[in-house]
Amino acid sequence: MYHTGFYLNGTSPIHRLDPRVKLAAVIVLSMVILCVKPPIVILVAAVCLCIVFAGSIPLRIIGQAVKPLIIFVGLIFFTHAFFSEGEAIALVNLPYLNISLSRNGMEEGGLVALRFLCLIVAAVILTTTTTPSRMIAAIKYVLGPFKRLHVPVDDIAVMMMLAMRLLPLLLMEKERVETAQKTRGCDLQGKRLAVRLKAFIRLTSTILLGVFRRADELALAMEARCYNRGERTAFVELSMRKTDYGIAAVLIVAGGVLLGLNSFI
Amino acid sequence: MIVFDNVYFQYEPEGIEALCGVSLTVEDGEHVAVVGPNGCGKTTLIRHINALFTPSKGSVTINGYDTQDAGRRNEIRQMIGMVFQNPDHQIVGMTVEEDCAFGPENLRLPTGEIRERVAEALDRVGIAGLAGRNIETLSGGEKRLAAIAGILAMRPRYIALDEPTAFLDPVSARLVLEMIDKLHSDGVGIIHITHNMAEAAGTERIIVMNKGSVYFEGTPQVIFRNVDKLKTIGISLPQITELLIRLRESGLPVRTDIGDMDGAVSEIKGLINK
Repeated sequence: MYHTGFYLNGTSPIHRLDPRVKLAAVIVLSMVILCVKPPIVILVAAVCLCIVFAGSIPLRIIGQAVKPLIIFVGLIFFTHAFFSEGEAIALVNLPYLNISLSRNGMEEGGLVALRFLCLIVAAVILTTTTTPSRMIAAIKYVLGPFKRLHVPVDDIAVMMMLAMRLLPLLLMEKERVETAQKTRGCDLQGKRLAVRLKAFIRLTSTILLGVFRRADELALAMEARCYNRGERTAFVELSMRKTDYGIAAVLIVAGGVLLGLNSFI
Repeated sequence: MIVFDNVYFQYEPEGIEALCGVSLTVEDGEHVAVVGPNGCGKTTLIRHINALFTPSKGSVTINGYDTQDAGRRNEIRQMIGMVFQNPDHQIVGMTVEEDCAFGPENLRLPTGEIRERVAEALDRVGIAGLAGRNIETLSGGEKRLAAIAGILAMRPRYIALDEPTAFLDPVSARLVLEMIDKLHSDGVGIIHITHNMAEAAGTERIIVMNKGSVYFEGTPQVIFRNVDKLKTIGISLPQITELLIRLRESGLPVRTDIGDMDGAVSEIKGLINK
């Protein structure tokens, strides 16, 4: 069974927090984390970890989110570690290439990797503690001012909702077609590249055909329910509570303090 | 009232005609079944009712509004809800209540009224307890009821259902049929496409389609009296009617124009009492 998004049902203070506050915090964090000095990065990472615990997010979920990107994070670390200038602590002799592992490079690599991990964790906190519909409502709110510039904010929100709805269906369709093709002798894991390529093309073309057919039918169903491009009202209405304002204020103050500290270090 | 006046429709300009010369009317609050073999134009017909398709020739009017009039389409679509054959092709929301709210949101109703309509629609189809559930965790029958609730939230005067019991197990199918009957008794007009003549037997009128036109129509009794005509186009009778025909052929003087269990029971009881 495929579920939409990563949302984990819960009643923690992080779950209850207005999604606009969470979204704004993640946007600000993404910008700040890239320009602050190492001690502040470590402090932010510690805060992120505290929020993970406060939101009762299992570390397994964080691990699942980090896993597909671990090679990328590792690559960042080793590139810095081996190719940065500084005092060499080990030499690696490769044919045609002499590279050195430097302390400075390791520190730099570790810091960039930590910054990257902080971004992933922040995104996981946001998606696991916010229902997709509240998230869309928040994005719609954030994009609200762009309506004046004729940005189709309502249409973007509907597109996001459809994408979230259709993604699990697409995965199910893929599984169904894959099983159907396997039962008829299609070798999807064949050793020969040509065979695998042929099977892959057959699989994707069948899935794409199904997706286009489904998209056509869905468009008709939406039209049948009076969907027209343009403004719509919303079932999910966001309202800021006193706590939300309080937490937003705390976040602003904390951000200011961190930036202040950053300039003194 | 829904009026089809000599309607022709082609999917492609030079293609075959999916509807050829269809003329029919459906009164307010009527429960009509549309039956016919595959490819006879049933789905094309109901998509005209909702103004999803417009005729190549002829006209379709809904309570006096012509479906060709683009300015009236939203009113028409609000008046006639359409339940698609596969709920997965219709449901757009991530949870039951969000999907149910999709129509009212499109009608630009205030949030308070949307919430009221959603609660009312879910309650009407008996799935109020599933309001916050993720669509992907529902059974086939529950998804179908969620799709119907999504339509009811728009408070339509008619509902067109395209094979509402397709892919359902007998228990879920019965639940959906009971729901349709309940809606009809609440005054909602029903246009019900089906392959199952036993389902059609429970309606007020059956329209039999073949090769894009209305082959013949009438009350279930009239339809079941024309067994040969039905068999010519490959429509099988309800099992209970087949049984009554066999009984009559074996010499028992029973009526054979009955398609429902209750009617058959009272007919056989009457015979025994005689």
